[in-house]
Amino acid sequence: MMALTVSHVVGGYSQIPVLKDISFDVRDGELVGLIGLNGAGKSTTINHIIGLLTPHKGKITLNGVTIAQDSQAYKQQIAYIPETPVLYQELTLREHLEMTMMAYDLDQDQAWVTAKQLLKTFRLANKLDWFPANFSKGMKQKVMIVCAFLTQAKLYIIDEPFLGLDPLAVNDLLNLIEERKKQGASILMSTHVLDTAQRYCDRFVLLHSGQVEAEGTLNDLRQALPKAGESLSDIYLSMTEVDRA
Amino acid sequence: MKVLFKTRKQRHLREMAKYLRLVFNDFFVFALLFFLGGLGLGYSNVLKQLRPGFWWAPLVALVVLAITAQVGRFATLIEDADRVFLLPKERAMHDYLVAARRYSQGLAQATQLIILFILTPFLRVTLNWSLLQVLILVVAQVLLKDALLRLDLASAYQVTGQRRMNHWLIKWGVSLIVLACGLWLTPWLAVVLSLVVDVLVADWLRRHWASQQIRWRQQIASEDNRMLGIYRFFNLFTDVPMVQGTIHRRRYLDGLLRRIPVRHDKTYLYLYSRGMLRGTEFSGLVVRLTVIGMLLLAFIQGRWLPVILTALFIYLIGFQLLPFFQQYDDVVFTHVYPLSWDQRLHSFVTLITIILSTTALLLWLVVVAVNRDWTTIGVTLLVAIVEVAYLARGYTPQRLKRAAENKG
Repeated sequence: MMALTVSHVVGGYSQIPVLKDISFDVRDGELVGLIGLNGAGKSTTINHIIGLLTPHKGKITLNGVTIAQDSQAYKQQIAYIPETPVLYQELTLREHLEMTMMAYDLDQDQAWVTAKQLLKTFRLANKLDWFPANFSKGMKQKVMIVCAFLTQAKLYIIDEPFLGLDPLAVNDLLNLIEERKKQGASILMSTHVLDTAQRYCDRFVLLHSGQVEAEGTLNDLRQALPKAGESLSDIYLSMTEVDRA
Repeated sequence: MKVLFKTRKQRHLREMAKYLRLVFNDFFVFALLFFLGGLGLGYSNVLKQLRPGFWWAPLVALVVLAITAQVGRFATLIEDADRVFLLPKERAMHDYLVAARRYSQGLAQATQLIILFILTPFLRVTLNWSLLQVLILVVAQVLLKDALLRLDLASAYQVTGQRRMNHWLIKWGVSLIVLACGLWLTPWLAVVLSLVVDVLVADWLRRHWASQQIRWRQQIASEDNRMLGIYRFFNLFTDVPMVQGTIHRRRYLDGLLRRIPVRHDKTYLYLYSRGMLRGTEFSGLVVRLTVIGMLLLAFIQGRWLPVILTALFIYLIGFQLLPFFQQYDDVVFTHVYPLSWDQRLHSFVTLITIILSTTALLLWLVVVAVNRDWTTIGVTLLVAIVEVAYLARGYTPQRLKRAAENKG
């Protein structure tokens, strides 16, 4: 079953397209890694999927719904963790959680059970009345994670999650992703931490200059770029070579 | 170094001019004229009742003049980076600081002259002074301010840890002694005393500046403080990027906030109401304008003027609140959360209605307290209700919809 289908998307911030005809998909219960150099179009792709940008051409479907058909039903299925944490400066941690519950129309009692568990995992349970200004960058990122995983979304979109988190939190996040995958949720994750990606992702989408350079499992990639090498890192670096030449 | 100060001064003045244009907008000038007119009228009435020989008259003059002497700070325009980049030029900084003191004199001495000008009739009537005596006091006051500014300059060179020469106790002590001598004994004495202080400080500075270090950190801190004060003032009237609204927990408002049900359709109301009450930017604006409006209404009578003023203030507040709608546009979740634009607009309209109704009620209560004319009271209420309803439910959604459409 396809959860997310991106087909022939052309788009960008202005009239000049950054993404040139991008197509890939994410299936149910699958973790897909979005890999590419700085400026390859990873964030632009994500911004199109979460609905911040509208594609010039092409279509993005999430379980049969596009954002144009029913934006509420579409957005209801997505939880997003941005690369740089953004929080409402005037809301405490408790209120952020409450607001997420309200926005996604979650059952309060049930959601708080999940929330308490997540807060405990990420060691935030005693900081419920703190303002974002008092959080360190890593803590803010954890708040983002807790809010996102509170939602029971069908698709999690995680932009570069590993930078800024302590090793314990990285491990906890990976466990969390694993758990949600088993429940049938899909995850699209962009990252530069390639050895972690290689170990955990089911498939990869390699972006380069706004185009999908290669797509598939690690084995597929090895076959597609036979001279590149064994590891994801080698394959990634061979893409850089193309750029330098 | 003098050139450096000159370029900085020009940049500073350009910036101030930019803000002053915004401060003295039509509405503010209108309110200011009202205020000054009323004040002038009151003062002239008081003057008519004064006679020579009131024991408290010199005391009042002393307090006013001593406060005035503290107005006008040493504006160095020093920046944080200077302690790194200008450190090798420390000796040359003397020229810079002297130029800065000269620049600071302008506004400071102008203030002294204006206050003394206003005080002249008061002094002449109550102390039975001749114009010459007043003029001598003016000279004393100007010399005093000169001495105080020289204290600021000298203390830039003091050894760290030493009690600062421009400590407020010293400044106030000198001002009070000099002015008391001038008011109770003879203004001539005040001139002599302030001249002595000025010369003594100048002499200390001449002997010490070349051998001592500039207290960079204190100078930077006090200049930052001075600029922050200016920006805060401008921020009363317009947005100053240097002053960001701060956030206060305001736990005592939690009871009020908790009355918003935790429900899907109230999500934005939940956010907006907390943002409004805990942030200082918009809530400060509402409170300031409401208080100013209430004060104005407390002093104004007449059949139609209160009606017009109430309407004006409600409009001003309602109009200035519109940008709050976009307050959270840069938080990505505002766009990602499964919430519709209509829900957001609906919550915003609710919030505006509550705020404007509260303001209107407060303004109306002042009108009720001050006026005896039932027509005025009734018409004010009617106008306020119609205006709040139109602004919140008609104008606001219409404007925001159009703005959203233009954005595409």
